[in-house]
Amino acid sequence: MGPDALTLTRTFHFSAGHRLANPALGEAENRALYGPCFRPHGHNYLLEVSVGGRVDPRTGMAADLEALESAVRRAVLDLVDHRDLNADVPALGGIITTGENLARQFWRLLSPALPPGSLRRVAVVETANNTFEYYGEADDGDTQ
Amino acid sequence: MKRPETGLVYATRRFTFSAAHRYWRPEWSPEENRKAFGSLTQVHGHNYTLEVTIRGGVDERTGMLMDLGELKRMVGEAVTQRFDHSDLNEDPLFSPGAIPTTENLARGVWDLLAPKLGSDRLWRIRLWEEPTFYVDYYGP
Repeated sequence: MGPDALTLTRTFHFSAGHRLANPALGEAENRALYGPCFRPHGHNYLLEVSVGGRVDPRTGMAADLEALESAVRRAVLDLVDHRDLNADVPALGGIITTGENLARQFWRLLSPALPPGSLRRVAVVETANNTFEYYGEADDGDTQ
Repeated sequence: MKRPETGLVYATRRFTFSAAHRYWRPEWSPEENRKAFGSLTQVHGHNYTLEVTIRGGVDERTGMLMDLGELKRMVGEAVTQRFDHSDLNEDPLFSPGAIPTTENLARGVWDLLAPKLGSDRLWRIRLWEEPTFYVDYYGP
């Protein structure tokens, strides 16, 4: 695929609980590794989803934002909002719920729910001071 | 604008500091300075916001790109403690005559952090001088 004419970004939010812990490590080791993040806590997360496209001359739009919104809702928000990310979300099973892993996993959940090859960027804003971005898999089979 | 790579995670941490500066070339006359820089010739200050973006693979043991607490300490020691409540014109980065513009300060921050983080891992310095203006620097 050539360069996109445009990238559209929509921001979503959800609130969820989590803690950072690697189940393979003991309590003392986890505490040393993650500090206060080892304690169960939560965030008001922002999720930014960017899709690329060219302007359809008929509609003047490069992406159907309503379809984007319902896809993000079904693929991610309905699974995570007001949940414990470590316990209640099978789609996050087995991953440590860092911002890095959430950004990557949300990409994997969203990519098949959107028009093929359209997803450009997923950003997880954990707090006003911490943002994590993912731009796709290293060998992204979606690109044409 | 540099394009990010797929397969990597990009993590951004935000910092703030407040500092004073003025735009002034000592070899120019006051008139020339005022003509070029206007009100920026007077000493004034800003609440700067600094965003440091690092990139890399995720360590599967920790789920993290790097310990962001460690990044916070590093940037605190090398950058925010150095510039917070300081006169940027007196800082050795600028005192040889370079003007502490947002552009030069962003480049200076890169030069302070790149040796500590590695220029592969350091991706972008975004420096906000005020809420309506920022400069991005992706390294030399």
